[in-house]
Amino acid sequence: MRTRGDYALFASLLILTIAVVGCAKRPATTQAAAPAPTGTAVTTPATPAQPPTSQPSRPGDRGPTAAPSRPSTPAPPAPPATAAPATPGAGTRPSPKEFVSVPELKDIFFDFDKYDIRPEDAKTLDVNASWLKANPNQLVLIEGHCDERGTNEYNLALGERRAKAAMNYLVSQGVQASRITIISYGEERPVCTDKNEGCWSKNRRSHFLVKPR
Amino acid sequence: MRRSRRHAVRLALLLTALLWVLPWSERPAPSAQGVDVFLNVTGGGTKKLNIAIPEFTVVAGTDAAGLAKTLAQVTGADLAFTTLFTVVAAEGRIPANDPEALRKSWTEFAAAGAHAGLHGLLALRGNRADAEMRLYDLTSPEHRLIASKTFSVGTASARRLAHKIADEVVLQFTGEPGVADTKIAYATGPPGAKELWMSDYDGFGAAPITRNGSINITPVWDPSARSLAYTSYKNGYPDLFRLFPFERRPEQTLAAFSGINSSPSWSPNGQHLALTLSKDGNPEIYVLTIATGVLRRLTRHAGIDTEPTWSPTGREIAFISNRTGAAHLFVMDAEGANVRQRTFGGHQTQPRWSPKGDLIAYTARAGTFDIWVIGSDGSNARRLTAGPGDNQGAGWAPNGRHLMFQSNRLGTWQIFSMLVDGSAQAPVTRAPGDHTSPSWSPRLP
Repeated sequence: MRTRGDYALFASLLILTIAVVGCAKRPATTQAAAPAPTGTAVTTPATPAQPPTSQPSRPGDRGPTAAPSRPSTPAPPAPPATAAPATPGAGTRPSPKEFVSVPELKDIFFDFDKYDIRPEDAKTLDVNASWLKANPNQLVLIEGHCDERGTNEYNLALGERRAKAAMNYLVSQGVQASRITIISYGEERPVCTDKNEGCWSKNRRSHFLVKPR
Repeated sequence: MRRSRRHAVRLALLLTALLWVLPWSERPAPSAQGVDVFLNVTGGGTKKLNIAIPEFTVVAGTDAAGLAKTLAQVTGADLAFTTLFTVVAAEGRIPANDPEALRKSWTEFAAAGAHAGLHGLLALRGNRADAEMRLYDLTSPEHRLIASKTFSVGTASARRLAHKIADEVVLQFTGEPGVADTKIAYATGPPGAKELWMSDYDGFGAAPITRNGSINITPVWDPSARSLAYTSYKNGYPDLFRLFPFERRPEQTLAAFSGINSSPSWSPNGQHLALTLSKDGNPEIYVLTIATGVLRRLTRHAGIDTEPTWSPTGREIAFISNRTGAAHLFVMDAEGANVRQRTFGGHQTQPRWSPKGDLIAYTARAGTFDIWVIGSDGSNARRLTAGPGDNQGAGWAPNGRHLMFQSNRLGTWQIFSMLVDGSAQAPVTRAPGDHTSPSWSPRLP
């Protein structure tokens, strides 16, 4: 039994605030001991699955920037997902350091927060595709980049889509998908570090590098 | 002196009167630790508890480094950080084993308006530093001892004594420990060469935890505060790794699939990791079971699905998708079903589910970037920052009451802290260069 004196400080603190909140228990944590395997994990499909959609962009396409809304209610289960055939598996990824820029392959650029190919950039990609077809012994690495605005994690995904959009275009123009590797740098490797649109627009790019087979 | 005593008496009368108007049901029950729960708060208040923290008293060993003074100051700073306390400082220290001197000191502090007194007894032996904290109720005539507890650390991390004491004081008054004995991890460095660093929650003791010369980003603490998941380009591509900053233990590779391996979020039990992989064609959310390596795919959409964040119950995952045009916040069941859109219009990224479960913080773009919170049910979105500059990348304190975030309001990106109501914004890092992607650790073991 507590005395009135015991409550004196108690009461003084109660009046400090009127905000009362439930004191949620922290969930128990369990430390996983086993090391995680890499690269070779088993993939199991989520139950309400929708078939993956992946279409190469074509000249003039506005791309999947505004993807149509899909129902979030359960759809028929899809077969187990398989690895995307377009890029080599983790074990066979060539080191990005082995690739070099060549003047014949020009960068393409993107609108803010977009990854569709603009008509003028499609022309650049046509020239890039012609050069790659004329140099079939060259493998190509496509880097996807973002400007510094936005947030790291989202920009990593956005850069991936920009590299992928360029890749899909090149494939649609007859460049073998097996020659192409993509990498997203998100906002981590800007070519220009000023803080204005002239600079940011230079950073929103796909960059092309090659190495001999 | 007489006037002060009268003040104290009046205060006690006021408090007693208040006590009797409170219905019994509103009196918090003692917590499991046997601690009287005095208050519980989520936001900043205008009234604070005045706590006196005289210099600690050295009871064993030689205090060559001046810890007795430093630890009292750090404890005071920790308590001030909570915004629940005002620290009544004083010169000089209370002699050891002198009850009369102690009584006299507390009487003087009480006269100066202190409601509570904190006395630290410091023992320095070899490379150990022990501190006993004694917490007194200065509003009671006999200066009732509220709690005493002893902590022990290596002298190299002596500041942790102050953090542990502060957390114990907060526990005594709120029923939940404070968040001072925690770490933050963040990325720092010039473009193309970011390393991860770790510091105490107050920015002290900053040191690198990666040194691979590559790009290392987005560290995320596991629920046991033993390890961090992060994305690194050290093998050329953006892969996910796990490092153990307190152990001589090699890093684990969590995911190294073709494409991006990013946006890790630990399940509350630490057994699973939600993450973003693009191995199947475009960025999708998966759950990796750490012990088995089994991957489960949660999203299937042609757009971007990324930035999963687990609810503290483990039953739901919030994420960002541009499936309806621009990037918005969604919530789904942890198995991937029952997707519900939570934000509409504008552009939102970086969802972070509060450890209390009721709120999801995120970054919204409207010209500049700012931190918002929304109820996990999609209600009551409110803005926490309004410039200057961009403010993004929120990370929750383990009590869900504070957030860290990155702001470029000072020219470079620096880590700032604030309360969940957006008040008390203050820089945590101040070094030259950019500091981004703060992750606030759970309470250290």
